[in-house]
Amino acid sequence: MINLEGVTKRYNKQSTALEDIHLNVEPGEFVSIVGQSGSGKTTLVKLIIAEERATSGKVSIGDWDITRIPYRHVPLLRRQIGVIFQDFKLLDKKTIYENVAFALQVSGESGARIRTVIPRLLEIVGLPHKKNSYPHELSGGEQQRVAIARALVHRPKILVADEPTGNLDSINTQEIIEILKKINEFGTTVVLVTHNREVVNQMKRRVVTLDKGRLISDVKEGKYRL
Amino acid sequence: MRSLFRAIKFAFQDIFRNFSLSLMTVLILVLMLLSVNTLVVIKFFTSQATQSIKDQIDVSIFFAHTATDEEIAEVQSFIKSFPEVSNVQYLSKEQVLEKFKEQYSDNENIIASLEELDENPLGSTMIVKTRNPGDYNKLIEALSVPEYEDIVVAKTFVDTELAIERINNITTQVERFSVILTGLFGVIAFLIIFNTIRVAIFTQRVEITIKKLVGATNWFIRSPYIIESFIFTAISVAITYFLMRFAAGLIDPYVAVVFKKDWLLTNYISSNIMMLVGSQFVVVLLLTIFSSFLAMRRHLKA
Repeated sequence: MINLEGVTKRYNKQSTALEDIHLNVEPGEFVSIVGQSGSGKTTLVKLIIAEERATSGKVSIGDWDITRIPYRHVPLLRRQIGVIFQDFKLLDKKTIYENVAFALQVSGESGARIRTVIPRLLEIVGLPHKKNSYPHELSGGEQQRVAIARALVHRPKILVADEPTGNLDSINTQEIIEILKKINEFGTTVVLVTHNREVVNQMKRRVVTLDKGRLISDVKEGKYRL
Repeated sequence: MRSLFRAIKFAFQDIFRNFSLSLMTVLILVLMLLSVNTLVVIKFFTSQATQSIKDQIDVSIFFAHTATDEEIAEVQSFIKSFPEVSNVQYLSKEQVLEKFKEQYSDNENIIASLEELDENPLGSTMIVKTRNPGDYNKLIEALSVPEYEDIVVAKTFVDTELAIERINNITTQVERFSVILTGLFGVIAFLIIFNTIRVAIFTQRVEITIKKLVGATNWFIRSPYIIESFIFTAISVAITYFLMRFAAGLIDPYVAVVFKKDWLLTNYISSNIMMLVGSQFVVVLLLTIFSSFLAMRRHLKA
């Protein structure tokens, strides 16, 4: 599903974010990518969503080689990968409904389909009553649930979560992890980037550890060892 | 078509949800347009003032008492053949006498002396106006030939030559100054528009990046801003036009005292509405769109 072959990312001569990474994520897997700050976790996410380009090596999603993906194809790629971020990245001036709808509007979906899909998604993340609220009126956990709803609008085969619990308390963290597990159970490949020890340890799923830009361990039912 | 409707909807949403920013943008555009229009009005008044002074200058050609109608007609057709000549007014001996009497109606001695004479001692006169004061010299030179020596006895040009030269100098200087001022205002206007739009885009840089991350194309992100540019331009040009009309109505009574013409500025604005409003709309629209493209380019790279 996601394949990185000998991928290196250098921002300049002094700064190497990733060095010779070989990683293959199978369809339906739940993979946690762990590592300390500056280990290259976020760079890895940026390569998967084509926000950055690899200096060398090959990045592919399914059969699609995205290593040198043309800029005009990037929006198409991003409509097929759901992404959630630590800082939620919601549009402040749009309501919760509009935020989720926007991800469908960009791909030219009809108003009728949007009116059918969005209430269902808000129901899944438990926020149908907040559809007319603005992001700043919601708690961190609620905002992250909106971001998850938005990431799911295109029914993506891959969901990338970049430190999704970084700004949340333990109760909200647990809620978000449960939602991610459920999404995975429905067959979506989930890549969870985190440095939350408890989250990783309770998962008992595959753990990939990065350190100073290098992949130092890849364990099928791993724990947080750093 | 669906994308266009969405772009229009997003544009209006942006305008109302960032109302204070939208208001400031329109306000700055209006202030900038008012400055440009003030320059237009100053240019208009300057040209009106120099034109009215030029209109007051003419050359009077005094014919000899003995000049025959044929000779006068020949001189008249000779003068009219000059493309520089804009108007020729002929006053017959009788008309000149009438004017003379009118002018000196208070002076009994002059009137009595005239009545003592058996015949009209005054010759006919021709008042000639040229398009530019500089053309008078050419006309006078053309008339100063031996064949007209006995027909034309005097020309008043010599008295006004200095004044004409000064007006020509002033007009040239004013035109040069206004070209420099227009250029300066153009640069200022561009910088104001560019920075206003840049600030507006900068406040939305995070939103632009997020839109890119959820799969929006550059055009999907840009199109609402283009429509916003159109709306801001239309509103600010309309407000400026109504303010100018209102100001013209207030100024015109004072202008009428100087130029002896009623509603001079209002009429100028009305008769040049397409040129003033149209050109300003097009220029401001292109500048705002260009500025938003330039300002957005950086944020669209995500």
